[in-house]
Amino acid sequence: MDKMRLENVYFAYGEEPVLQGLSLSLQEGRFSGIVGPNGAGKSTVLKLLDGYIKPQQGAVYLNGENLRTYSLAQLAQEIALIPQTSYYIPFTVQEMVLLGRTPFYSRLGAPSEQDRQIAQESMEITGVAHLAHRLVSDLSGGERQRVTIARAFAQQTKVLLLDEPTTHLDLEHQVNTCRLLKEKSREGVTVLAVLHDLNLAAAFCDYVFVLNGGVLMEEGSPGEVLTPELIAQVFRVSVPSLQHPLTGRPIIVP
Amino acid sequence: MTRSLCRFSGLLLLLCAAVLAATALGSVRIPLGDVLGIIASQLPGVGGLVEKDWSLAHEVIVLKVRLPRVLLALVVGGGLSVAGVLFQGSLRNPLADPYIIGVSSGASLGAAVGLLLVIPTGLVGHGFLPLFAFAGALVATWVVSRLGQRRGRLEPTSLLLAGVAVGAFLTAVVSLLMVLRIENLQEVYLWLMGSLSGRTWNHLTMSAPYVLGGLLVALWLAKDLNVYLLGEEAAHSLGIDVQRVQRLVLMIGSLMAAACVSVSGVIGFVGLMVPHALRLVFGAEHRRLMFHSLWGGAVFLLTADTLARTLFSPIELPVGIITAFVGGPFFIYLLKRGSAGHG
Repeated sequence: MDKMRLENVYFAYGEEPVLQGLSLSLQEGRFSGIVGPNGAGKSTVLKLLDGYIKPQQGAVYLNGENLRTYSLAQLAQEIALIPQTSYYIPFTVQEMVLLGRTPFYSRLGAPSEQDRQIAQESMEITGVAHLAHRLVSDLSGGERQRVTIARAFAQQTKVLLLDEPTTHLDLEHQVNTCRLLKEKSREGVTVLAVLHDLNLAAAFCDYVFVLNGGVLMEEGSPGEVLTPELIAQVFRVSVPSLQHPLTGRPIIVP
Repeated sequence: MTRSLCRFSGLLLLLCAAVLAATALGSVRIPLGDVLGIIASQLPGVGGLVEKDWSLAHEVIVLKVRLPRVLLALVVGGGLSVAGVLFQGSLRNPLADPYIIGVSSGASLGAAVGLLLVIPTGLVGHGFLPLFAFAGALVATWVVSRLGQRRGRLEPTSLLLAGVAVGAFLTAVVSLLMVLRIENLQEVYLWLMGSLSGRTWNHLTMSAPYVLGGLLVALWLAKDLNVYLLGEEAAHSLGIDVQRVQRLVLMIGSLMAAACVSVSGVIGFVGLMVPHALRLVFGAEHRRLMFHSLWGGAVFLLTADTLARTLFSPIELPVGIITAFVGGPFFIYLLKRGSAGHG
């Protein structure tokens, strides 16, 4: 079933059109990736899905309903977004992760015992529970990224959007992040991540969207989509046709 | 819960002790017992029970001179500090202070216009000076917040730049006025340095409602400000109406700062330093930070003002000199500490 859908979406920043009639749908419980060269409109797609920006034409749907019919508070309980840049303020890890529970308690209230429990579980899943009382600003890049993911997990939404969650991470943390996202999708969460690393997309995503110049070039399983022909066309780099000896998934090496 | 109640009453006691001590100190020393008696005699209920064995002169000094000034120091110190928290939070910049988007330069121009052009004509009395400053501050803030928008959205960077530009322009106008009209120059100059000297209960009633009202709204928005620190997109995704919160916060921050500046002149560094220092101690969570900044700023300015009027008594220093004297080195310390990167 379609969890979310973009239908004929047109979006421009000022005069400069970024998306011109883009349609795509996210299937429930799938780990999808968006790949494409810089300026393809990948981040714009995430912001539209999160309702941070609104399409100038066309519409975004969540559970079959136009996104405009949801209030901000309702959206916060349905969709979590991890943007490209996060600010790391002197919050402790625990405080930071608890911020993921803000849509669930009143403005003058405090997080409940259950909220704390959920935050604790998210920290354990992402492996940052032992850092609970450290300041986020004192952590390494990989640890920060895991805290940010823990915050999004604590929001317990059915949709998870991530803008380049693996950039600036070393190989181990890249792989761990992707594994976490994959596990989340197996629990029924619809995950969509913008990924710059084609090999990570090939190895972990169930489904890949290839975006170029605001147009959806191709979509499908990594094996179907990430062919040398398409990569030559979209990224202007010629690559040999290689496959992982164990998984059979494509490997992209220039 | 009981622990925070204990801490709260402890702070309240500290505050009362500071008020009593500051009221007793000065060019005329008044015994603490007398200060306590004079204040108690004014309280409804217990007033009649106090035996009046102090001189009338002391009573006048306490009630007409020192107490309003002491309380005003608390209001202005607390108000500027909480406004500082609001500006640092909503601009996500640890170097922001309550004056950064034009409050002080606008208030200065308003005060200069009042002191140099209007009050000398006898049209209105000296008591209207805070109103001139208040109006100037609000107009300047309004202009800056109009200039700080791009595509209908407030942007921290544009706001900061607009604030600097408008501030420089208004300061130039003030200087020009001062060159052209030199009769009341000293008064303008003293105002610009910031002082609580000679302030009355009127000044208190003019500023305290804004500070208290602003504080309530600020506490109401504390949760949103916490989330806002994560960045606009992340805050939006957590259900915060980013633009609305930002506008509201800047509005009440400016109102609080304008109310303080209009009664005290430009007292620097309080709104920058107090929130910054307390954030290092108590963390960035806004409700906690606002609470601590409120009493921390209040006690800090009260101490500074008491020093200002006792250090070289009977000569009185503008309190702005003391706060800048402490603030300058503190700022250098923060820079050397290398922690200026995050709000």
